[in-house]
Amino acid sequence: MNIVVAIKHIPSIADDLPVKGNNVDFDSVDFVLNEFDEQSIEQAVLVKEAVGGTVTVVGVDMIGELDAVLHLALAKGADKAVKITGDDPAADSHQQAKWLAEAIKGMSADIVFAGVQASNDLDGQIGPMIAAHLDMPYIGGVSSVEVAGDSAMVNKEFAGGVGAKYSVSLPMVVGVQAASKPPRYAPISKVRQVAQTATIEKIAPSGEAGAGLTFKKMAPPVVTGHAEMFTGSSKEVAAKIVELLKSKGLA
Amino acid sequence: MSNDIFVITEHMDEKFSDVSFEMVGKAKELASALGGQAVAVALGSGLSANGFASDSTIYVDGANLAQFNPEAYGKVIEALVKEKSPRLVMFGWTATGMDLAAWLSARLGKPCAAYVKNIGADLTMTCQIYGGKMSADVSPDGDMAIAAVLAGSFPVEAGQGSTAATQIESPVALDGLKIKFVEAIKPAAGDVDITAQTKLVSIGRGIGSKDNVELAEELAKKLGATVSSSRPVVDAGWMPRTRQVGKSGLKVKPKLYLMLGISGAPEHLEGMKGAELIIAINTDKKAPIFNVAHYGSTADLFEVAEAMLELL
Amino acid sequence: MLTTIERIAFIVLALTSAGFAIHGIKTIVDSVRKGRSAPELKNIPASLIKAGIMVLFQQTIFKARKILSTIHLGLFFGLITYAFVNLVDILEGFIPGFDLVYGGKHLTFPFLPSGIINAFNLIADVMSGALLFSITVFLVRRFIVKDKRLTYRENVLLNPKVKAGGQNKDSLVVGVFVILHVAARLLGQAFRLTDGADPFMPIASFLNGIFGASQTGVHVAWWISLCWVLYILPYITRSKHTHFTVGPINLGLAKQNPRGQLDPAVPAGEKIDPGAKFIHDLSWKRVLDSYACVQCNRCQDVCPANFAEGASLSPSALEVNKRYLIKEATFGSHPERLLLPLTETVISPEAVWACTTCHACVSVCPVGNEPMADIIDIRRRMIVDGAELDSGVQNALQSLATNGNWMSKGKRLRGRWAKEMEIPVKNATEEPVENLWFVGDTASFDERVVPNTKMVARIFQQAGFDFGIMYQNESNAGNDVRRVGEEGLFEQLVEQNIAAMGKAQFKQIVTTDPHSFNTLKNEYPQFGGKFDVKHYTSVLVKLFEEGKLTVKNPLSGYKVTFHDPCYLGRYNGGFTAPRKLLELMGVEFNEMPRNCENSFCCGAGGGQIWMGKVAPGERPAENRIKEALTTFEKNPSDKKQLFIVTCPKDMIMYSDAVKTTGNEGKIEVRDLIQLIAEAVGLEAPIISLETEAVAS
Repeated sequence: MNIVVAIKHIPSIADDLPVKGNNVDFDSVDFVLNEFDEQSIEQAVLVKEAVGGTVTVVGVDMIGELDAVLHLALAKGADKAVKITGDDPAADSHQQAKWLAEAIKGMSADIVFAGVQASNDLDGQIGPMIAAHLDMPYIGGVSSVEVAGDSAMVNKEFAGGVGAKYSVSLPMVVGVQAASKPPRYAPISKVRQVAQTATIEKIAPSGEAGAGLTFKKMAPPVVTGHAEMFTGSSKEVAAKIVELLKSKGLA
Repeated sequence: MSNDIFVITEHMDEKFSDVSFEMVGKAKELASALGGQAVAVALGSGLSANGFASDSTIYVDGANLAQFNPEAYGKVIEALVKEKSPRLVMFGWTATGMDLAAWLSARLGKPCAAYVKNIGADLTMTCQIYGGKMSADVSPDGDMAIAAVLAGSFPVEAGQGSTAATQIESPVALDGLKIKFVEAIKPAAGDVDITAQTKLVSIGRGIGSKDNVELAEELAKKLGATVSSSRPVVDAGWMPRTRQVGKSGLKVKPKLYLMLGISGAPEHLEGMKGAELIIAINTDKKAPIFNVAHYGSTADLFEVAEAMLELL
Repeated sequence: MLTTIERIAFIVLALTSAGFAIHGIKTIVDSVRKGRSAPELKNIPASLIKAGIMVLFQQTIFKARKILSTIHLGLFFGLITYAFVNLVDILEGFIPGFDLVYGGKHLTFPFLPSGIINAFNLIADVMSGALLFSITVFLVRRFIVKDKRLTYRENVLLNPKVKAGGQNKDSLVVGVFVILHVAARLLGQAFRLTDGADPFMPIASFLNGIFGASQTGVHVAWWISLCWVLYILPYITRSKHTHFTVGPINLGLAKQNPRGQLDPAVPAGEKIDPGAKFIHDLSWKRVLDSYACVQCNRCQDVCPANFAEGASLSPSALEVNKRYLIKEATFGSHPERLLLPLTETVISPEAVWACTTCHACVSVCPVGNEPMADIIDIRRRMIVDGAELDSGVQNALQSLATNGNWMSKGKRLRGRWAKEMEIPVKNATEEPVENLWFVGDTASFDERVVPNTKMVARIFQQAGFDFGIMYQNESNAGNDVRRVGEEGLFEQLVEQNIAAMGKAQFKQIVTTDPHSFNTLKNEYPQFGGKFDVKHYTSVLVKLFEEGKLTVKNPLSGYKVTFHDPCYLGRYNGGFTAPRKLLELMGVEFNEMPRNCENSFCCGAGGGQIWMGKVAPGERPAENRIKEALTTFEKNPSDKKQLFIVTCPKDMIMYSDAVKTTGNEGKIEVRDLIQLIAEAVGLEAPIISLETEAVAS
């Protein structure tokens, strides 16, 4: 079973995002792995552990720091790591999806995993676009994947525990919402060992695609209203909340 | 090419979702500005799609379309769009629309914007990205664009009406599908229905670890409330999926929504902003939730929760 | 005295006994040698002699339980005396006419002066009494009073044989041995007094008054007394009483590195899995620990993780389980058990994760055991083996790996507090400074602690103390990361910090966080980071002494007590500087009973602050607050009562505990720096941008 995980390296939203021109100032932000990709890597490794095969993780190197992310994926159980030397921190999902699809073409993938979405998917997610380029079926919002023979049973989440089971014949592209088990922890000693021994295959970007969107403005959202803030010690805040609830007959 | 605005509606259990009506309302507004028509598109089997205020409604009926199937729905929508060449195709940025919008964009080579919060008459789209921390205004190039719209962005009422749908057969053959619907998954029986609760104590990533959920449960018990949560808490396996509020969870409208450690990503806001009283406790003073909550505090959630327990 | 047949019989018995005893010792030695190599010990003979002297003066047991320790003196000196007594008795049996009574009047070989004989008899006689008394006290304590300190809590994992009372059996056997052996010997002495009382043998003389003299009696008593010895010697090698000999040896071989420096996860120069999964993954020294331990449970008494009713951790249970595991595999018929994971045989996973690494168990142990180090080794292997981690720990570690802090904050936010200061704080990686202030995570990010951080900066500025911080180049120092067992991540953090410090120019490092202080001072040198590291309390003392800071407002209205943080106090001996500062502030100081070396951990160390789970029952921090209040009650006054801390973690733990114990209003937790700020009269108020931002 050839399992491929397509990942996105995206600006961290743990910090404030500085703006430069009409986009994020990519020089002053840290890049992190899309959190849904952590789930999709886990799901890929779980599938491998269940039915065997190899897991190849592939991503576009946005700022030259993708190696650390790939090492982590290898430490968590991926077998191969590939980076596309994009070196363009502003590459949009359309462009990344095209590059990724071109790279995945040669991997004879049975399943391509992607995170269901990323916080910077302004022009949509890479998963469905890779599926379109590779002419594979796509199903997103997935919370478990069980492979049997040349098809897979996947659970897709709609809302609040409501979902549906689908049978998909392989190859397919899956947008992972959550892995069937919470992502594992990779001990750093293993990550560091991997970092020393593993080779990361480099692929030059191939193919062009664009979102077709012209940026007019980027800024923190205009705040229309703001909560009335309770200040003081935690105890005082608690007292104010309780008082408010009591006055509204809610406590 | 036309100046029509297509709205891909969605439904569950034969009921169209709010976002479908929201989009139809917006589409009417845009269509009249552009001199086109607002066209609602519904896919299903034996469905009645006569409740929209659209200029026209296309209802594609087919046995394979009874339940959502990204492959079948995608094929039908692609064919329709190719045939009619609308100016804009609107999807919900939802569990169903998310499977289709970007896919269609790549298939057709047409621009697509996601996380859309608003659309101007010139089709400038305002998108809330980076977890709600950034708002981007973008305008699509070319003659056709796709928008994936955040639920709750527009009023529902404007899309409600009684336009009679025109029923058609699928314009493409739907045999040999690679994706097959097997069965619906219902929420685990026995758990409470958070949409029916009047008070919710909702926990987010800030709760830190699974063991701390207990504190929220204690507080909820004292308040006569139920514990709900944001997506990361569910993904981490600390809460069952039945308790998740937001886009991929449930929409709730309780009298009290007390939030502990939720920063307020747009996906979450979508599920709870209709609550009557929203109180948010989050240490990040810049968290987007404070733009939506009625009351807030940056105090430590554990300390506040414990102090509240004593006072209640 | 003995007939030839008796002599032959005794020699046969003695050889048999020696055979079993040697087999026992060999088994122990073999097992110990199977352990991994331990950090090299320097000058072992000197250490052994030093330990011997300590043991002779019984210094180490008096660290706790003064009364019981005094009674232990009776056992200790009694048994030492009896080693000589038994030797002399054998000589008497085998050398005709060798008869040490009445100052040697009957001695056929008069080579011993009567003074020595009388002294020997007196000591033997008195020590017999002491031995009988102390063993009786201990037996009564164990079997009649049933001192709870000798038992384990219900949730503690115990070897089934221990659970079934294996240790009590050992105690009973050895206790009965001591009583019968000593009694037989005393009676034997009494029977020998054919001329009536000997003033140098008061107890024997008293017994002689009752039983009279009897040659047959002497004979029978000799046999009974010495046969017991022949039986007990091999028994000891198979019981917890290996303590008798291994205890002192183990103390002599105790760790020589600083307390705050953990043994490497993999012994130097070896390529094996880090940490410990099986018993022989522990270093030989820590295998030996289990034979030194007699389960006095002093460690359990001081363990904050054993404090609550539902606790699952007992350091002493860990040691006894280790010994029983080896015993079952070597003396017993279960060699395969050595291949059972320690987490199934020795300590439960729950207990592994309950340790706060406060070092109290190691510090209090009279025989130099390090159960805490075993626990950390077990954690190390569990992490490498991919054990399921507490979700809070996993989140913290993941954040540490990516952000360099455990609080999931962006790197760039680390110096944000400094940017909010009126006087700019230098960036030590950009301009040279005298002092590099290593701030730490909690002090940098936690909104509750940041005001104190700013206060430290302002006091430094007021004193003209030249300092800088590393802003986003600083990473968590890794003290708790290492103690939670994530050695790889620890190494990564160390490398990041050493690289950052390499970019900076400074003379010494100052820390506010005791945990960072410990690892920077004791562990960074192992990785090439040799710096002069100071805790800010000693720095402030110096600034006061040099007159750079002066007390403008003496704080005589405060009544305070001080909690020694583990990593400043017990680990690094930083007891005096904080107390000196309190004295300078002019507060009324009240010392809690558990202070300095015996300080009681707040419960947050060793990664506990990341875990949500605590054992049910009273928490250590709550108990500590009560201790402070009881201390204050001894000196009633109207003064404001303050609980002074000097560790960011303490601030959080004790503030919580004051609330959960319902003592708000009675006692307030403050950081030492807050008192100093008040006493030196910090001029401008600290502007809180927090309130401003919120108001807008």
